[in-house]
Amino acid sequence: MRLEHTDPLAAFLLRSPLGALVRGVAHLRASVRSKLLGAFLLVTLMFLLMGAFSVQTIRRMSQHTDALDAAHQRVAWSYQLQHSLAMQMHLTGMALLVRDEATLANILRENNRFNDTLARIEQAAPDAERQIIQKIRTGQEEAMTVVADIANLVRDGRVDAALSLQLTREDPLYKTIDEQVGLIVEKENERMVAQRASVEAANRRSLLAMGTLGLASILLALTGGFVISWAFIVPVQRAHAFLSDVAAGHFGGTVRVPNRDEFGALAARLNETSRELARLDAEQKQAAESLRSLNLKLEQASRAKSAFLANMSHELRTPMNAILGFTEMILDELYGEMPPDIKEPLTDIQVNGKHLLRLINDVLDLSKIEAGRMELVLSEYSIRDVVETVRASLRSLATEKGLDFVTEVGDDLPEAHGDSKRITQCLLNLAGNALKFTRRGRVTLGVERQADTLRYRVADTGMGISPEHVEAIFAEFQQVDATTTREFVGTGLGLSITKKFVELHGGRIWVESELGRGSTFYFTIPIHVGSESKA
Amino acid sequence: MSDKTILNVEDNEFNRKIVRQLLAKTTYRLREAVDGEAGMASARESPPDLILMDIQLPKISGLEATRQLRSDPRTAAVPIIVITSFALSGDEQKARDAGATAYLAKPYSPRELLAKIREIVPEA
Repeated sequence: MRLEHTDPLAAFLLRSPLGALVRGVAHLRASVRSKLLGAFLLVTLMFLLMGAFSVQTIRRMSQHTDALDAAHQRVAWSYQLQHSLAMQMHLTGMALLVRDEATLANILRENNRFNDTLARIEQAAPDAERQIIQKIRTGQEEAMTVVADIANLVRDGRVDAALSLQLTREDPLYKTIDEQVGLIVEKENERMVAQRASVEAANRRSLLAMGTLGLASILLALTGGFVISWAFIVPVQRAHAFLSDVAAGHFGGTVRVPNRDEFGALAARLNETSRELARLDAEQKQAAESLRSLNLKLEQASRAKSAFLANMSHELRTPMNAILGFTEMILDELYGEMPPDIKEPLTDIQVNGKHLLRLINDVLDLSKIEAGRMELVLSEYSIRDVVETVRASLRSLATEKGLDFVTEVGDDLPEAHGDSKRITQCLLNLAGNALKFTRRGRVTLGVERQADTLRYRVADTGMGISPEHVEAIFAEFQQVDATTTREFVGTGLGLSITKKFVELHGGRIWVESELGRGSTFYFTIPIHVGSESKA
Repeated sequence: MSDKTILNVEDNEFNRKIVRQLLAKTTYRLREAVDGEAGMASARESPPDLILMDIQLPKISGLEATRQLRSDPRTAAVPIIVITSFALSGDEQKARDAGATAYLAKPYSPRELLAKIREIVPEA
């Protein structure tokens, strides 16, 4: 779901007054739960109201139906009144013809029914009708008196007199009553029509009101839903956009939400986080900047050191070249025959000159390693050749000291890849030391293959090293103790340089020793050293 | 009598003297120059049979001089032994890249230098 996208309708609505309502709800200082509860209650209330209104409407419609029924009833009664009156007139006429008591009694019965019906109509009749009813009743009473007279005349056999009475009195009376009853019928009909129209109008009104109320409820529910949901969606969207910014590395921005609920608290916390991130970022940038400038200074220092080393190398080797060169040429009798007593001191000069040169080389090597400027010159080399070079270089020293100098090289050794000059230098250091520190016995130089690694071994039968000295032996300028220095001259740089060269090759160096019984130095070198090795 | 000529470009007097005395008993003829510019001028004026070129020289470095002599048709074929007193790794490679025939690090043994000279330009 893409939160940053607001659909056009919602965007439009949020710009309308509805948007102000959304912000208003968001701005309310109430919890999210209360707001949701409020919204649901509002909608529920609206539907309850609608329900009540419906019940009310149904009841009213039922009343209308009752009233309409009553009006119908009254119309029926009024017709019955008319009918009853007609029956009386008819029965009176019949009494004149058949002249029996039964017919007379029927007239009375009809009269009673007439009066009953009239009494029913009179109930709940409007005043105007009551006056008419009163006239009808008066007329009817008078008519009944006349009917009684006619009945007596008929019983007496005075039919003519009765006929005359009927024609002169009763008939006009009935006609008057009939007119009045007709009025009642008319009025009741009118009332019924009016009632029906009123019921129809009322029903229409109810329907309209119900529809309006329903529509209003739906609108309210929609509006409420929109307002309440957007009051929560807006802060979530803003927080999302803000977090996207943060994720893209733009710290220090703020997220603004109108909410004063949990979302408002969340936004405030996000802003705190943002400020803290911006602060940390600035600090980190500053630190990186100072590191950069420090690095630059270090690089400059390193370059200066390298230049110094190059110069020192040049300055020291130039006079050494002259000293050793002239000495060699004198010894080679380039300047003519040399007196025998000069040869020994000249050889001493040469030996010491070479020793000085070795020291210079050691110091320069160590400086280069320390400056990180020592690089291995990698190439294919023969392990056997390396060992042979070392043996040839040290053979005379071993012979001079009366020591056995043995080399043990396996037959299964392949061509190796590495800096053979430096490996030779390491072996020269170790074997040279072994010969130097051994008074009698032998020095063994061995090499064997262990999987992808070569293990070199230089063992002697010398004085050995005590355990407390073993730790420090590879540190610069360390020899076993001061007394050994007097007896066996050396700088103490050899082992330190050897260790560094071995490590440059990705190897490891260690010593196993027992005081009085001799020492064995080991170092391992990968058979194939890659070109990435650098100090 | 050999007329093989060797040009030694070297700024240090003592080191020039070594070569001078080393070659004194040989049949090689020696010319000397004390800086890169003079060395190049001398080589171009009359190409020698071999040049001994020190690396650290005033005015023009031995490496630069070697490069320029190699690109000059008059001197392109002259063998050059580059002699360095730097001990930084990669020097030999730099010398070879510049066009050196051989490379020697100071301090060198005069005996070895002579052997190398004889190897490249045998005495007649």
